Amino acid sequence: MRLMLKLLAAAAALSMPFLAVQARAQEDPGPAAYAEAMKGKRVMLVPMAMGFDLAQGWASYIKKEVDAFGGTFETRDPNWSVEAGAQAITEAISSDTRPDVLIVHSPDLNSYARLLKKAQAAGTYVILIDNPANFAADAFVGSDWDRLGQLEAEAVIKGCGPNSSKKIGLVQGDQVNASSLYQYAGIMKVMAKNPDFQIVAKPDSNWDATTSRNVTTTMLQQNPDICGIIDFWDGDAVGAAAAIRDAKMQDKVFLVTTGGGEKTADCDKLEDGTYGAVVMTELHQQSRDINAIIKFLLQSGQAPGTSKTYIYTLEKATTKADLKPDSCWDLKALQTAAQ
Amino acid sequence: MTFRERLQSWRYNLVPDHLIGEILTKRWTDNAIPFLALVITVAGFGTAIPGFFKIASLQDSTRQLGEFSIVVTGLVVVMLGGGIDLSVGSIFALSCFAAVSVFFIFEQPVWMALAAAIATGLACGAINGYLVGVLRLRAFLTTLVTFIIGRALFDILVVNFAAQIQLSMAMSDVWDFIGDGTVFGFSVSVLTAIVFAIVTHIALTRSRPGWHVLAVGGSRRSAHNAGIRVKRTVFLTYVFSGFCASIAGFLIATRLSGAGPGTGLNLEILALTAAVVGGNSLGGGRGSIVKGLMGAIVVLVMTNGLIRLGYGTGTNQMVLGLMLAVAVIIDIRWLKNRHKVLNEVYVAPVYLKMGETQSAAPGSGTPYELDNRLSETEYIGLGELEGPEDVILDRDDNLYCGTRHGEIVRFFAPDYKRSEVFAHIGGFPLGLAFDRSGNLISCVGAMGLYSVSPEREVKRLSAETARSWTSIVDDARLRDPNDCDVAPDGRIYFTDSTKRYDAHDWALDSIENRASGRLLVYDPKDGSTKTLLDGYRYANGVCMAHDGKSLFFAESWACRVHRYWLEGPKAGTAECVIKDMPGYPDNINRASDGNYWMAWLGMRTPSFDLSLRHPGMRKRMTRRLPQDDWLFPNINTGGVVKFSGTGRIVETLGDLTGVSHPMVTSMREHKGYLYVGGILNNRVGRYRIPGADEGWTGPRSYWGAGK
Amino acid sequence: MRQSRKLSQEGIVLATAAVIFVVAGLSLPGFLTPDNLVSIVRSVSVLGILALGMAIVIIGRGIDLAAVAIMAMSVAWYLQLLNDGMADGTAIAIVLCGVLAIGLLNGFLVAYADVPAIFVTLASGSFVFGYVRSQLISQDAVPVPPDHWLARFGGLRFLDIPIEVFIFAALAVLIFLFLRFTKWGRYVYYAGDNPIAARNIGIPVRPMLVLRYVISALIAFVAGLLTAASLHSINTRVVNSTLLYDIVLVAVIGGIGLTGGKGGVRNVLFGAALIGIMLNAMTIIDIPLIYQNLIKSTILLAAIIIDGLVNPRDEQTAQQGDI
Repeated sequence: MRLMLKLLAAAAALSMPFLAVQARAQEDPGPAAYAEAMKGKRVMLVPMAMGFDLAQGWASYIKKEVDAFGGTFETRDPNWSVEAGAQAITEAISSDTRPDVLIVHSPDLNSYARLLKKAQAAGTYVILIDNPANFAADAFVGSDWDRLGQLEAEAVIKGCGPNSSKKIGLVQGDQVNASSLYQYAGIMKVMAKNPDFQIVAKPDSNWDATTSRNVTTTMLQQNPDICGIIDFWDGDAVGAAAAIRDAKMQDKVFLVTTGGGEKTADCDKLEDGTYGAVVMTELHQQSRDINAIIKFLLQSGQAPGTSKTYIYTLEKATTKADLKPDSCWDLKALQTAAQ
Repeated sequence: MTFRERLQSWRYNLVPDHLIGEILTKRWTDNAIPFLALVITVAGFGTAIPGFFKIASLQDSTRQLGEFSIVVTGLVVVMLGGGIDLSVGSIFALSCFAAVSVFFIFEQPVWMALAAAIATGLACGAINGYLVGVLRLRAFLTTLVTFIIGRALFDILVVNFAAQIQLSMAMSDVWDFIGDGTVFGFSVSVLTAIVFAIVTHIALTRSRPGWHVLAVGGSRRSAHNAGIRVKRTVFLTYVFSGFCASIAGFLIATRLSGAGPGTGLNLEILALTAAVVGGNSLGGGRGSIVKGLMGAIVVLVMTNGLIRLGYGTGTNQMVLGLMLAVAVIIDIRWLKNRHKVLNEVYVAPVYLKMGETQSAAPGSGTPYELDNRLSETEYIGLGELEGPEDVILDRDDNLYCGTRHGEIVRFFAPDYKRSEVFAHIGGFPLGLAFDRSGNLISCVGAMGLYSVSPEREVKRLSAETARSWTSIVDDARLRDPNDCDVAPDGRIYFTDSTKRYDAHDWALDSIENRASGRLLVYDPKDGSTKTLLDGYRYANGVCMAHDGKSLFFAESWACRVHRYWLEGPKAGTAECVIKDMPGYPDNINRASDGNYWMAWLGMRTPSFDLSLRHPGMRKRMTRRLPQDDWLFPNINTGGVVKFSGTGRIVETLGDLTGVSHPMVTSMREHKGYLYVGGILNNRVGRYRIPGADEGWTGPRSYWGAGK
Repeated sequence: MRQSRKLSQEGIVLATAAVIFVVAGLSLPGFLTPDNLVSIVRSVSVLGILALGMAIVIIGRGIDLAAVAIMAMSVAWYLQLLNDGMADGTAIAIVLCGVLAIGLLNGFLVAYADVPAIFVTLASGSFVFGYVRSQLISQDAVPVPPDHWLARFGGLRFLDIPIEVFIFAALAVLIFLFLRFTKWGRYVYYAGDNPIAARNIGIPVRPMLVLRYVISALIAFVAGLLTAASLHSINTRVVNSTLLYDIVLVAVIGGIGLTGGKGGVRNVLFGAALIGIMLNAMTIIDIPLIYQNLIKSTILLAAIIIDGLVNPRDEQTAQQGDI
């Protein structure tokens, strides 16, 4: 909220000169200045892929705003390929229709860093979302993966309870990407504070549901008294859930995961008890942050690369107990609304 | 000429149908389908994407293409050698990591990074090469496993060292230049790719190691049996592929200044797709670097183009799949059916109205009147010879003739019972002549102009002439050298009967009747060959006039004889001296009485003359009928004609029995005898010429009495 | 003769699997429990089923690179149709038609258009994924509708063993019987060994080729249904994963030659056993995935190299185009 105020203040400061000139016009000069600054601006979103809930959610929310202020919104779909993503960014920078704001969902810390610097040099503001990168973007909007891991660990400790076996299993991503490594680091911080809890196994799923199921099955067989499992992503946590279901241990094992807060992926699964808790990214909030920073950057007049803002989205572990009708957003509804 | 015939002549003589066939014979038409795909793709996306062709945009957007084509180049070489390399993606990633780590972690100069990348690539390639080439493991399976190993190694390295790479402050202008800079408007990676493509292409098509790769890919067993070191060749293809992948890895390292878990992911399948779309076949035997490059461009332009146009996940794969299927199916069908199409369209007959001729029937009273004198010949080498097209005698009266087996046979004087193979040349030796120093000059069908010294040394004089700019078929090559003669100054004049057919397909040339015969000259002083005249309907026999100032040459399918002037006011021009003969002229030689002998290989028939005025009918005939049912020129009756230097017909000799010499392709007068050869005969005939000068010989007539 | 047969590739693979099995059994607690053995089999059952389909195609001297795409996309489409409210019967009929069509198309192009199988299936796999992903479904992952029979099916147990294991076993037996004891099954070997000779003696080589690709497509569909049944959703990203390589690996590592005419169900089972035992043992030891990949592939490489050393290929008898 404080940031919003700051942004508003900045916007106000920027529009001061206009205010002075047009004071006699007896009307609020803000909207005109806003329209002037935003009109015809190009915003481009390059997620890792367009095929998953978060990306479609972002696209939907950002598009609404960009369309409203008369800009052009485009997306590029590299379909999880780093090369294709890099190429999409390269071509965007060098094309006639170079975007004014480039929103990038970086697949790893390094791959796009140099390209994004080029983009800034060419005059494009760069906003990183969700995944951090080794690069000073104009703004970063997304989750603090470390904090996310901590929330997961706290949720699972709470879910297990003090009278349990206190044995926890992890199903990691790939131990290669930041989202996997930082989550793990966050979990370990909490585990260090709770020495009576121990991690008995930490296999990788490689973000694949079948692999997740197989490793979880083995984990449950090796440690039948396990009380909680953290799976690093709801995309493959269905596999871990299937393994728990197969072992008929739904009542004994508390499954925690992270997700984009989409209704069928997260809330429905909380509702039916598949997941014990989900640390959800509040997509609506996050998209609003992205939109605000887009508006700010476009009016700021500053050269790209000047500001280095970090906006971390509020994360919260949601359980069935505190599930509310608006806890999740509905992709289907968004798509229907878009049509 | 009726209106219908005029239309026919316009239609068939002015429309260059034959070019279609000639284009189809070109090896490069093999690339037609991939090239078409390339043009369509580039044009399609070029119009759909604004600013696609802008130089600044291309400079950046083609960097990836440069890296990719280098990888594809390596893969194509492996595929041409009959293997496959699925590990290119891993090698690419590992080399990228090697370069990045040397530069950023160890803070070494750029050349060290490059060396590290190359070393990585060579090492990986050598492992693949050793396993597949030397140990003979199955390429698909082996490189699949080395691919997974490489990928796992890369992932481990990235996890453990990525943080260090990110924290490094190493900087270098050279590094940035390779990644960002341009030379003459080209990015470094595109330039590198071009260099790689050109060098590899030249190496494959014009160097021994390259031929070995193609030979191994074409037939490994035959290559092995031919003594090619198969194992080493295969080994080297993998090393090369590793090298290519490493260079590409180094380039992406400089472009992105980092290595991430996604580097080079799925590259192998994309590279394979590119190679296949370009028309390279798996398992070797067919393909080229150009095909690989075209495939690379098509695949990348399309993938990136669709992303750039904002299409979602799936559209890309859908279009790629469709295109791969369509391209490959068309390509395969094309490959399978090209020779059928070629057979259908290659023969493109033209319209020709033959002139009225005098009768050659016995008793008709014309100078062409055939008699029965040739049936009186005695036989030399009966049953020992096959196809003595031309005969000649030397100063010692020994008789020489070519055979269909590529040999020149010598019959010893005086009785010509004994024979030996004088020289083995190959091809089909046709026209013969002696030069001043007694070398036997021969036009060898399908090979060129050869000389055999008295010591039997065979030497090639000429196999090609200057390439003309407008011809589509390679007219530099001598396809059907037919007859030759030697001028007093030593220059050898000879004919090449047709540019469009090989020697054994002379019948097709007669049916097509297109004027593509040539008169050429070979100059022994500088070894050059020049084309003097072009555009004759099967240029055939050549004979130097007695005074050595002009020569006669026969134009078989037009039944004409021309005189070409070597000196005098008309030097360099030709004039027709005999036209509208009733027979098809072949070789011409000097006669002892100052006239000239000319062979008729066959006689005109009204039916074939009529067919020449119906090119459409002949075209249908060659397409729809088996060869046995075709209408050919009659070559079952021929004869020998004597004509004077002015073109007057003196007399005509024939064989009405049809037993001894129904067809004659050559005759040579020697000491009162006429020696008769025929390309379909199994002997040489010898006919005593009444009243001829018994001391006259060819060598003496040409080169005087001395040795 | 006997000596060399003992040291064939499948023998080496079996021996490797056995060694790992014994070592793991002795050193890893909980490895030899019945539960774990079942889970080993289960973990490779979908892979094994797909490899069975692949085996039939490979024995007939082909390859089906579209298997994973058909598996994931057919089921994703099916689930999408259900989620959109279509009746189950209609949906499954439509999808089945689609699967058959793709199998027929693959077979037709290979058999009648003479396009090499690797190109056809590479293209059709890409097309199937692309078409379904872009035109028919909206997201990478499609969930099974609540309370659908598929969800219940995935939970079915018989003697405490998951249903997939039985289906895998049943398919293996069926295909074994087909290949070994039916006329058409034997024809597959003849056609794979020497297609031209097979055609000359009157075997309907081309229709059988089509049949093989149709079988492979249907088996892929079954594998997809089982995956969805177990996970209650299907993620189409699996098409871009290394699953395809794993399938080929399972089939080929067991000793089925890519040149065709060799191998059988037994080889698939050996290959699957090796992979399953290795992965399970490494998961119990808690080795990270990236190291698992390294170890797995190194063992595979060792097996291939030993085979290459024991059974070197002869320059004179090797087939052209055997890659």
